[in-house]
Amino acid sequence: MTVTELAIVGTPAGYRESVAELKRWTVEQVAAVAPSPRSVAAAEPLAERDRWSALGGDQRALWGRCRGSGAEPYDTAVDHVEVAWRCSCPSRKHPCKHALALLLLWVRGAVPVSSRPKSVESWIDRRDRRPTGAAAGSDTSPGEPPEGAVPGSAGDQLGGDDSSPTDRDQLDRSRDERVARMMEGLVELDRWLEDRMRTGLADPALARYGTWDQLAARLVDARAGALANRVRRLAGLVGASPDWHAEVLAELGLLHLIAQAGRRLPTMPSELADAVATASGWQVRHADVLGGVPETDEWFVAGRSDTREDRIEVRRLWLRGGRSGRWAMLLSFAAYQQSLDDSLTVGTVVHADLHRYPGGSLRALAGRRYADPLPFATPKAVTIVDACDEIGQAVAAEPWLERFPATIRATPSVLDGRWVLTDATGSLPLQGDDRALGILLAASVGAASSGEMLVGMTIEWTPWGVRLLTVHLPDRTLDLGPRAEATFVGAS
Amino acid sequence: MSTGVSTDLESYWHELVTAALLGTDRRQPPIPPPGPVADLIDDAVRPDDASRMLAAVSSVAAARRAAFVAGAPAGQLQMPDPDERLYCNAAAVATWRTVVAEWPVLEDEWVLTVIEGGMRVPPDALVEQLQRHRGDATRRARTAIAGGPLAVWLVDHVPSLAATTRAIASAEAVANLPELPVPPELTHLLTADAHTFVRRLAQGFDSGEFRAPHRAVLVNLFARCRPEVLANAAATFSTAHVGLALALADLAKLRHRMLTELGAAV
Repeated sequence: MTVTELAIVGTPAGYRESVAELKRWTVEQVAAVAPSPRSVAAAEPLAERDRWSALGGDQRALWGRCRGSGAEPYDTAVDHVEVAWRCSCPSRKHPCKHALALLLLWVRGAVPVSSRPKSVESWIDRRDRRPTGAAAGSDTSPGEPPEGAVPGSAGDQLGGDDSSPTDRDQLDRSRDERVARMMEGLVELDRWLEDRMRTGLADPALARYGTWDQLAARLVDARAGALANRVRRLAGLVGASPDWHAEVLAELGLLHLIAQAGRRLPTMPSELADAVATASGWQVRHADVLGGVPETDEWFVAGRSDTREDRIEVRRLWLRGGRSGRWAMLLSFAAYQQSLDDSLTVGTVVHADLHRYPGGSLRALAGRRYADPLPFATPKAVTIVDACDEIGQAVAAEPWLERFPATIRATPSVLDGRWVLTDATGSLPLQGDDRALGILLAASVGAASSGEMLVGMTIEWTPWGVRLLTVHLPDRTLDLGPRAEATFVGAS
Repeated sequence: MSTGVSTDLESYWHELVTAALLGTDRRQPPIPPPGPVADLIDDAVRPDDASRMLAAVSSVAAARRAAFVAGAPAGQLQMPDPDERLYCNAAAVATWRTVVAEWPVLEDEWVLTVIEGGMRVPPDALVEQLQRHRGDATRRARTAIAGGPLAVWLVDHVPSLAATTRAIASAEAVANLPELPVPPELTHLLTADAHTFVRRLAQGFDSGEFRAPHRAVLVNLFARCRPEVLANAAATFSTAHVGLALALADLAKLRHRMLTELGAAV
């Protein structure tokens, strides 16, 4: 099961709807797919809400039951992304008038956003499994997708266990082989790091991408995909800023920490061992994660952050438990022209199960959902000092963390010529684009009361600064996190 | 060569960076200041300088990251001058986004209707409009009016939102919708009642007079016709057999919705 499969947010209001509107077809596009103009005319009388029941749609599909001439209504579904349709009517025209009517209703904004029914879900799944036109957006194993893998593919999700050994001995042998390969990779990584210490960061070899890429490839072979991706990200830091030497050195130190910890897994407390294994790239079956004890809560979808990592676009959704106060992260991936998961809307609250990866990880998979999401909520915010404490504790527990969220109440300001977020307790340097900064500034003026311009916001800590993800206004949520380039990801 | 004992973790880190730049082949790792990090490094059995250096780097890097503390509070920015106008509602902003994405011919009217209705543009849309109209003096001026003092204040703080043109728009151009070309034989429809408007266009579609090459001028006509005709036109042409008529019905529906949301007389 993937995050996408979980179900679709059923809110008719707010940001999700505006996104859906932007992605809607035009009437001309509907006319273009019709077998003839006459078909559109035949569809028109059916494009009335009262002719339809169980009508719904999401970022991928539309569905509904149309009352026609037969005794039973016709079940109609349209995939508006991959452009396909199906209908239980006997018509030999494709698309039939029911599919066209469904599209016309959608074009006119008359199709409510709702949860995808199982029949449509399985239809979309079958389409996605076909060799061509496969859609992505599914969750994968820890440590990001392996080299060369298509996100969402079975091999990606099952990691190194895709051979499915049939008996216990085979399974154990396979696992032992994987462990041995990973250990070899970690030893080699450490040896490589020591070489860097010997030759120094001024070594011209560091400026060559091949130096890093060869190591990353070796780590991929050792099934340490997370470390391989980390090495590739590290390559991007070389020469990227005036103090890149310090940044690269810190990252090399943390790689060493993981490599050393990874070689001592059997002697570690189990939770820490799981966390180290996850950071190294040890892959866990989705089924195993979903088989764990769920955390049931009212999950507030606090922020979204898209980043391009090599040839893959990665989406992180940050959720916070209303009762537990614990953070969780859902990941989805998309290669070129594939789609990222859009099933959860920032600013909504969803009553659902989350299943965490081993080691009390932030990373989780979404499980059962108990109700339609509440369309809007105001999150609990903390001061900047309290947020720093939360972040510091998380990083102390797992020094290799690269991101951690916080919801704070603060205002943008300028300190020593740099943009910061500030409140009465302290300040944090702010990173990000001018659009997000401008909207935050304007929102903080709009939210001003009693002369104070404090506004609720969710931020994402990274070792290189704090990034704004969301502004929480009293009446709506502004999703300002970095967004994947539309030219790269597919148009779902 | 050692650099001597560091007095605190931060200066020790800087010494580590310097040593790492040169490499342990040329410089020995610095000696850590007494404390937990020194104990940790001493505990690790390391055979050579490079591995001792790595142990020190990883310990200090982890400690520095975990010691994540806030800086001193900064003073609050001075607020922009007050603006008593209400923000236009979220639905109107959503429609503006649809207009920009699908029927940008309506954008001028959206902004002018906001201004005439005594409203202002909400923060997120204002920033997008400032970015969108950096190089167009007339639209820029309208955005500044719709944004009020907040627009000026934003540009002061975020220079990338500033105009890229020095041209000055005339007051007349700012206050009025730009004229859109409509062929002389159709200009009477700009002021026609709904019945006349719909009948004439229906004739044109039925007879094949209006085809794809007429799309641009018909779009102009629908963007400038009397608002009172829009509901009828949308209802009539949304059942047409011609793709062009369906598209124009969509335009009429969107314009009708836009004006209704902004409280204009339709």
